[in-house]
Amino acid sequence: MATVLKNISEIRRFFHRNEDPIYFISATNFNLLGLDEWVKNFKYICYIDCYGGKHPNVFCPSEQPHAEFQSIEDINNYLLQHKEVIDFIKKRGGKPKFVFLMFDEETERLSKELGAEVWFPKAKLRTAMDNKIETVRIGNKAGVPSVPNTLAEVKSYEDLRKTCEKAGIGHDLVLQSAFGDSGHTTFFIKSEADFRRHEHEIIGEGEIKIMKRINCRGAAIEACATKEGTIVGPLMTELVGFKELTPYRGGWCGNEILATAFPPKVRQQARDLTFKFGEQLRKEGYRGYFELDFLIDKKTGDLWLGELNPRITGASSMTNHAAFAHADAPLFLFHLLEFSKKKFNLDVDELNARWADPANIDGWSQMVIKHTKDSVDICTQSPETGIYKMLEDGSVVFDRFDYHRRAVESENEAFFLRILQPGDYRYEGADIGILVTRGRSMTKAFQLNDRAKKWIHGIQRAVDGKPLPVASASPDLADPAFKIL
Amino acid sequence: MYWRAISEDTPGPKWAGLFREYWPEYRAWWLKEGETARPTYAESRRALGVHMPELLPLYDQLCELAGGTDHAARFLSFYTPPPYLAACSQAIWAGKEPVMVRNYDYNPKAFDSLVLKTRWMGRDVMGTSDGLWGLVDGVNDKGLSISLTFGGRRVAGEGFGIPLILRYALQVCETAQEAAEVLARVPTHMSYNVTVLDRKRDYLTVMMAPDRPAVVSHAAVATNHQENVEWVSHARFTATVERERFLLQRLRFHRDPEEKFIGAFLKPPLYSTAFRQGFGTLYTAVYRPRRRQMELRWPGVTWQLSLKDFAEGARDVSLPGAA
Repeated sequence: MATVLKNISEIRRFFHRNEDPIYFISATNFNLLGLDEWVKNFKYICYIDCYGGKHPNVFCPSEQPHAEFQSIEDINNYLLQHKEVIDFIKKRGGKPKFVFLMFDEETERLSKELGAEVWFPKAKLRTAMDNKIETVRIGNKAGVPSVPNTLAEVKSYEDLRKTCEKAGIGHDLVLQSAFGDSGHTTFFIKSEADFRRHEHEIIGEGEIKIMKRINCRGAAIEACATKEGTIVGPLMTELVGFKELTPYRGGWCGNEILATAFPPKVRQQARDLTFKFGEQLRKEGYRGYFELDFLIDKKTGDLWLGELNPRITGASSMTNHAAFAHADAPLFLFHLLEFSKKKFNLDVDELNARWADPANIDGWSQMVIKHTKDSVDICTQSPETGIYKMLEDGSVVFDRFDYHRRAVESENEAFFLRILQPGDYRYEGADIGILVTRGRSMTKAFQLNDRAKKWIHGIQRAVDGKPLPVASASPDLADPAFKIL
Repeated sequence: MYWRAISEDTPGPKWAGLFREYWPEYRAWWLKEGETARPTYAESRRALGVHMPELLPLYDQLCELAGGTDHAARFLSFYTPPPYLAACSQAIWAGKEPVMVRNYDYNPKAFDSLVLKTRWMGRDVMGTSDGLWGLVDGVNDKGLSISLTFGGRRVAGEGFGIPLILRYALQVCETAQEAAEVLARVPTHMSYNVTVLDRKRDYLTVMMAPDRPAVVSHAAVATNHQENVEWVSHARFTATVERERFLLQRLRFHRDPEEKFIGAFLKPPLYSTAFRQGFGTLYTAVYRPRRRQMELRWPGVTWQLSLKDFAEGARDVSLPGAA
């Protein structure tokens, strides 16, 4: 084998002949779906078996008693201490490499115990980069501007008003704590009543990013910082806060990838800014996969930096399945390459130019469907993973099992990945599953289109639950039948 | 469950009667690890004098009413008692009025089911009684209300049983800030999350523990873990993470009117009927510190109690699965 990989073809061959086992360890394998077909000896170790045991490269250990997980890091740390996982990794041998969606210092420690390398920058560095306040600073250095904002501690609503007057950003605000995603820690605050609902998450939480609220739409872009330069994926639309999909206001609930989602000027600018940001990240010591959210002002078309996710994300499956990814290689392969220590030469400018070509982008969309009702119960049935068909009358039926999302043939088919399983607790905000379709799910005005609504309805209809046991004091004991002394 | 609401301004015959009634069972509980496992009278009284000196005259008076025995006095000091366990959820409503709602999940057989209203040390206090003069939740005439949840940690150390610390805070504090300072200072023998809410709607949650400094936070929700789940089986059994998540969702997504917010505590997942395993919801309490009011609730039943115009009474409540 060549000592230096000279081109894409050699890079692809390198991974097709890879010997050391590489594991993606996470709640589900969705983020890196399909990567096992590019990399030999690539396995998924997951907490939730979305495939009912039918995916050849997904390993799910049997459930052991554990505390309710408070984060994805908790899930990974649970998996890494599970006997069946440890046995599986040991039995397969080699020098294991781990990749995660989320991990912390405990995950690093457990990985080391297993003799595995974590193929990501250190948790400490990632945590520092993930801090929204730090993101603003890196952006400013790189020449990537953030929405007009101020960073301050907030003591009360009065105090917040004063801070904003001083900063000249008005009183219609978006507040974000240093960490957090998918709308969990993004608060829209216009009045004292809004403030009261979130004050427990704002007061005493240290510095908060306080932004002027702008009328914008969200866009996401993924990239990979390598020693040869930053490779930039396509600009994706974001589905945000649709009540059919998520109860979280302002919460991410999907993406679309299509060549003409944004005007060419915006696309080009986003790519340039992402490249610059990636180059700055390298200077800060970060390398590998990352994602940026941009906010595009609806009126002016101005592009602002929203946030940085120094990791793979829920949108990674979109980036890694676009036409260019099949033509060249999925973006995540370059991340693995960067960490493999293998020497390679790559003309990043040429690759970026090719990936910017609209001909290399086909239209896909994904919707993350959550339980949106204000209710809690136990799931009794949910649609299984596979390919679904939409019939003439708009109803949705299961067609066949598959774990390849590219098996979707037309806009009348969709791939659904089941997350909620019968027996699970169904609560407001619980993930039901992810639906991937060809074509758009939004209109030109960025509203959910009719087809998408039918798909969501079709999936939601197939989910059912039974109520939790309810207590009631028997009626003869209710007032005024009480015995009063 | 037979509930009573009793009022007595200064310690006297009513309190002495209650002590006689509850003492045999408390005595058995207090002695369950043997007498030598508990601090001596001298140690106990000294500890009270160091950490809650204002309570000493009242303590001495109660010991006298309890018959003046060594065991009774040591028990009443609440100093390093046998371990307690409980579940519980509590949250501050996000509306304009200060309102705190809590569920008390416990074993019905080891519970006083008693609301006590007193004017000890010249201050009006009412709340849900534990151990004759301790409180698991309550409110005082300055419009300060307080409530505890178990912190979900097994570690026990030297310190006071939490009900007496809550009583102390209501006897000597007027604001959430003052109470938080007291809670952070007085040693507790187990881990608890204590939330205080005052008439100005200031609130604080103090995560107390015997083995590390207290953490004062602005949390509006507390269930049965502190910053991280440490006691896995207890957490799983009491569904503490789910209850916390559920309450945080209520605050984040919804503009619940007061009644709806309170109603959530009377239904799953907050409301529990796991009495057979020892921890069901015994009652829901609602505190309105600005109005100096509390309410006890069960599904379909509301019992209002007011500090200004307290009416003694009783209720016989039957809960499915509870004794």
